[in-house]
Amino acid sequence: MSWENYEHDMQRCTRCSYCKYIPWRFIKNFDFMEGCPSAARYNWHAYSAGGKFNIGYSLLKEKIEINETFLDVVYKCLMDGSCDISCKVGQDIEPLQHMQELRIKCVDEGYLLPQHQPFIRNLRKEDNMMLKPRSERGDWAKDLPVKRATEEKVEVLYHAGCRYSYDQELWPVARAGLTLLQQAGVDVGIMGEDEACCGGRAYELGYVGEMTKFAEHQAETFRTAGIRTLVTPCADCYATYRVLYDKIGKKLNVEVYHITQYLEKLILEGKLQPKKSLPLKVTYHDPCHLGRLGEPWIHWNGKEVKVPGVLMWLHDPPKKYRRGTFGVYDAPRNVIKSIPGLNFVEMYRIREYAWCCGAGGGVIDAYPDFAEWTALERLREALSVGAEAIVSACPWCKRVFKDAAKKNGNQIEVLDIIELVQQSV
Amino acid sequence: MKLTADEYRALEDIVGPDYITQDPVIMESYNQVWGNKLAFGDKRHNPPAAVLLPGSIEEIQKIVKFCNKAGILFKASARAFEYVATYLSSERGILLELKRLNRILEIDEKNMHAVVEPYVTVYQLQDAAGRVGLYTGKPGVGYSASVISLACCHQEMTISQIYTSGYGRNVLGCEWVLPTGDILNLGTSNREGGWFSGDGPGFSLRGILRGRAGANGGNGIITKCSVKLYPWYSDPPTMQPLERKPGEALSAAQLARIPDNYKAWVFTFPTTEQMLKASTEIGQAELACIVAPAYMATGFQEEGNDEMWTKMKEGKMEDPNKIARSVPVFINGHSARELAYREKAVMAVVKKWEGYLDPDLNNPKIMAQRFQYQMWSTGIGGLRATGDFMVSIQGADGSTEMQLKFRPIEVEAFKPFRERGYIVQPNMGMSYRPMEHFSLGSSGGIATGYDPWDPESLAAAREYMNLVYDPNGPFRRFGYTNRGAMMQVEAIEHIHERWGPIYDHADKWLQKVRNMLDPNRVADWSGYIPPEYESQKKKSAS
Amino acid sequence: MVDRDLASIVGMNNVITNPEILRKYSRDYSFATPKNPICIVKPANVDEVQAIVKWANEKHVPLIPVSSGEPHFRGDTVPSTENAVIVDLRRMNKIIRINRSNRVAIVEPGITFQELQKELNKEGMCAYMPLLPRNTKSLLASYLEREPITMPGIHFDSTDPMLCVEIVFGTGDRMRTGEAAGPDPLEKQWEIGKAQISSFGPTQMDPQRLVSGAQGTIGIVTWMSVKCRFISELRRAYFIPSVKLEPLIELSYKLTRIRFSGNIFILNGLNLACLFKQSAGEISALNQNLPPWIMFVSCEGYGPLPDEKVQYLEADLRELAAQYGLLPVMEIGGLSAHELNNMLDKPCPDPYWKLRLKGGFDEVMFLTIQGKTPEFAGIMEELAKQQNYPPDNIGVYIQPVVQGTSCHCEFDFYYNPASQAESDKTRLLVALTARLMEEKGAFFSRPYPELAEIAYRRSRDTAEMQKKVKNIFDPNGILNPGKLCF
Repeated sequence: MSWENYEHDMQRCTRCSYCKYIPWRFIKNFDFMEGCPSAARYNWHAYSAGGKFNIGYSLLKEKIEINETFLDVVYKCLMDGSCDISCKVGQDIEPLQHMQELRIKCVDEGYLLPQHQPFIRNLRKEDNMMLKPRSERGDWAKDLPVKRATEEKVEVLYHAGCRYSYDQELWPVARAGLTLLQQAGVDVGIMGEDEACCGGRAYELGYVGEMTKFAEHQAETFRTAGIRTLVTPCADCYATYRVLYDKIGKKLNVEVYHITQYLEKLILEGKLQPKKSLPLKVTYHDPCHLGRLGEPWIHWNGKEVKVPGVLMWLHDPPKKYRRGTFGVYDAPRNVIKSIPGLNFVEMYRIREYAWCCGAGGGVIDAYPDFAEWTALERLREALSVGAEAIVSACPWCKRVFKDAAKKNGNQIEVLDIIELVQQSV
Repeated sequence: MKLTADEYRALEDIVGPDYITQDPVIMESYNQVWGNKLAFGDKRHNPPAAVLLPGSIEEIQKIVKFCNKAGILFKASARAFEYVATYLSSERGILLELKRLNRILEIDEKNMHAVVEPYVTVYQLQDAAGRVGLYTGKPGVGYSASVISLACCHQEMTISQIYTSGYGRNVLGCEWVLPTGDILNLGTSNREGGWFSGDGPGFSLRGILRGRAGANGGNGIITKCSVKLYPWYSDPPTMQPLERKPGEALSAAQLARIPDNYKAWVFTFPTTEQMLKASTEIGQAELACIVAPAYMATGFQEEGNDEMWTKMKEGKMEDPNKIARSVPVFINGHSARELAYREKAVMAVVKKWEGYLDPDLNNPKIMAQRFQYQMWSTGIGGLRATGDFMVSIQGADGSTEMQLKFRPIEVEAFKPFRERGYIVQPNMGMSYRPMEHFSLGSSGGIATGYDPWDPESLAAAREYMNLVYDPNGPFRRFGYTNRGAMMQVEAIEHIHERWGPIYDHADKWLQKVRNMLDPNRVADWSGYIPPEYESQKKKSAS
Repeated sequence: MVDRDLASIVGMNNVITNPEILRKYSRDYSFATPKNPICIVKPANVDEVQAIVKWANEKHVPLIPVSSGEPHFRGDTVPSTENAVIVDLRRMNKIIRINRSNRVAIVEPGITFQELQKELNKEGMCAYMPLLPRNTKSLLASYLEREPITMPGIHFDSTDPMLCVEIVFGTGDRMRTGEAAGPDPLEKQWEIGKAQISSFGPTQMDPQRLVSGAQGTIGIVTWMSVKCRFISELRRAYFIPSVKLEPLIELSYKLTRIRFSGNIFILNGLNLACLFKQSAGEISALNQNLPPWIMFVSCEGYGPLPDEKVQYLEADLRELAAQYGLLPVMEIGGLSAHELNNMLDKPCPDPYWKLRLKGGFDEVMFLTIQGKTPEFAGIMEELAKQQNYPPDNIGVYIQPVVQGTSCHCEFDFYYNPASQAESDKTRLLVALTARLMEEKGAFFSRPYPELAEIAYRRSRDTAEMQKKVKNIFDPNGILNPGKLCF
């Protein structure tokens, strides 16, 4: 739905500011009541989802133009969807989709954020968002004995994603994920240097065309390789394949799993048995793209209707709003809880209303200080519940947490669930 | 003319460059609130000249003094979640958003009060106070309302006001930056001995702070306030267990059960009159912490509007005629004996008036939801339907007998609108909030739904509002009309000008007080009273 | 001539110029310097009051409104300036309405507690009482002065039990506040069910707060609607004696926190003795047999199941008292708590209980928090010792107010007014006490003339604003000049 079609939502934002906070009834600690990093960090209401509805409306009514401030407001946003969840506890409007369409509009009309351009150029040229050459894509698994899915048929494709492929420090985790699958007897392969970006991060910057291209490419590649099942250790890729491709009408004919879902499955089937005790107090960080943004897309093609005598916005057919309910929250937790010795504590902002790590929405590329600030906030929260380690399920989370942890003296360990399982089996 | 470059710089020098902006894009997020369409005909009103985020009372004073010198209008707000919060009467007007003043300074557990800054919300205070066995009442707007806005500047109609009072009666002191920039501390405010009295010496200046409603920012800025707290016999709200089944949306998460030391029921009676008599008797016997005749609100039901409509079509909604004869009653007890007595006494009254427990209205899950909503909130249910609603005449506060006489007049006045169907009053019965065990009567009002973006609905809403606002109309005798806490914009609706003269010239005195407080006319009067009506200006010009 | 002007408003019989009578009105039991008024004028209705006020504005004549009969004690109803006119409102002595269903009465200034109680009792109701007011005390004036009532549990606001008022401001304009405002006279308001109970506004001011505690400097109140309560069907009362004040304060905190309904206050032995006994000898003797501190609590059975209510209240009271090592008893030193409870429903039968011991008294009263009262009591004791003031001549009254969020703390100094030495000593001690207490945080929210300067010491901003407010409602400064900060 194009941006102009969100006029209804822009009009009906009431300025309740609920988008700035986690849903009120879930607040456990007022030190950690904020849900939207943009609103928390930047002073003005414009930086909230509600504020973006406002400036969107004013743009629609030609009271303002897209300029530097406008782009600053639009792009200093992690696109994490916390606002969307909180708003929709009590409203039937779409803050996140509006902001997405606003970005698409900016890109379509040539209002491009300069900081994003190197990444987009590299994506176009080298099929990745990491400013690296395509030829180095497979290096993370160079000496690993693993099937190449382009050369032989595999049951499961392990899609590492750009971050794992190129971030050398994180390679052990990517490798561990793959090794665990192999250990469990899964017939798994990788694309190696033939793996391409999913295009999801570009989409979130507003480059819908790029993602469409990659969606078509992936569909063709997977079809050719006979891929039926895809497992990825990256939450961004998970959400792209599972949700965004479907959204743009390019749903893959492939079953998509996040590694935590697959590990849960393997543990339940007894194919992986975490036996070694890990005496560690851990908390789990819900990656946005696995949690609330990992909720399957709901297609709706209808219209707003009025029923005589009933003053409510209604739809025909009824519109089911995505409110984050069906994201992946339990599988990672179940995996953690299956590991002996771990003392698992929850943070205050979890599941649908988790605080973002800081890496999303192009922020890690364009506004690294904002990304760092967001991550530090999350680490502060993890420390406040007494965790010795913060465990996530996404390389972008891990990267930004690791960098932030260094900044605050490494008071907390930053782990991925894969690492915990690896240490315990 | 907005601000000159020098004026902007001067303000910037006070708060620092990070805390002021006049960027046109940013300004567009400070001029769009629910209710704008009804008042202004558009989602937007004119944007402020600048928005500032002062960090201290010293900065606020300097800003205000500068405004006096430069002739710039100012208004302060907390979360600005209502339309007169961002509207300024002149384009040379600035908003002061008080988000940096966000501390609970003190909770005096023994002396039962809290001292807070403007950005502290009701829910925050309920939680902090709950940890020491104290409570502050929940307003209709719910969680995010600023404690100071409620107590000093706006309304403070709470569901629990039978027990926790309201309308400024809980103010035990405040630190007030006057429109001149001077500071006035009411009573013992800011004294070492504690903020326990806002009255005197001599007569109480709370009398010019607010009345039935506050000045909505028009008489300066309250930077600290002491509010009375009430006993609370359970855990604070953040420690209450919430239940939600897998696959249920966040909005379904609700209190698992009524907390210990509390009990809650909905009683239904053969007639509305019996219901009200029972309610009054329960209230006057000081048995309850909530008695909310015909106010069945549970907060959000169903995930969204479409789901709600499905439920309505399936006939699963509460029968409005039954609601009109029903009343939620919550009791508490500091001891098991007290709770037991209150329960027995309530049941005795209910029996006397032939009341009963309708199982549909007393489903334990719904009752827990109702408790949660009426004690703390679950959000603002009324806004999901269409994005705005009106309260019908407010100010019709008083006795049950008066409400009984008033309601048929309102029903009759609303009848043509009901028939046309462009605006709705979903609840057929009275819904009102008794105060201080009924000794101050009850606050009246009923929500009227309309769609601001449906031209016919908007037109009907305006027509109805005009009827409500007509001093020669059916509501003339019942109370000084207003759209809830004087939320109408005086320059548009002229309530004071039209109603003041028939209400003991209250407007004349209010205007004098306003002009005394603000001789240079820099405190925005949009939700208050203008320094001069247009008619007065014309008169003095001629 | 003043009297002729006023006679044209109220009639010759209602203008008093008799020098003896004028002398009586010039003074009271306070240490205020007597100043004879020009005359006394006695209006019968609000129209006459308005006319008098308008006349006073034209002629710049100060007016001193008085609603109670003598004796007066606090200096607020005697002239502070020369050439004033006393406006004696006692001819306005109607009970305008008693409305049981809303527990409200509307009274004119001349109505005393006794008179209203009698009529309320017929309806099964009674008024909220201060501690044994004198029998000539105007109920309206008592509430206007913010005299504390003895039932803190329902004392929601400092203005309680006052609701709506009709005021004639110093300009001569009339206004009715709260629900009483509007296009209709009272009778027509009743027709539509209005009961003058909603006290707010109208609109964005609370004018009734501007006359509360104003000592008649802002306006003359010509009627007031007041909260009333139902008579208890059953009641039981207790004394809770204690050697030390602190445990009683802890218990008081607890009782007020849970909004225990009923009378709750603390007296020292002397004041309790003064309440019960008539003669100085009896009082002194009784005082010797009483503990230093006595709390009084009543368990009031109104509403449904009064027996059961009283039963649970008693049980709770005993349990709570035990937590602080206290024991509620029904009798102490031969005094019956039940008898006191009944006494509290009525005004004092003789002129005033505070006159019984020595024939004269002065007061230092202020607001504080309950927890500070032992400190103030200690300071008082020390100061009395220093000044050689007999401790057996100092009564103490501690009354939680506004549901226990603050507390009226009162020291009563009993002396023989016929003795210059005692008068001087008392006057000095009162001044020293007030000054010292204020330094220690006492808040003189009711600053009677003697102590006004001390009261405003830390409230200069309040004084400045009050002057501006007065300039609106009494621009010519004709209402009771010399009081408060004016």
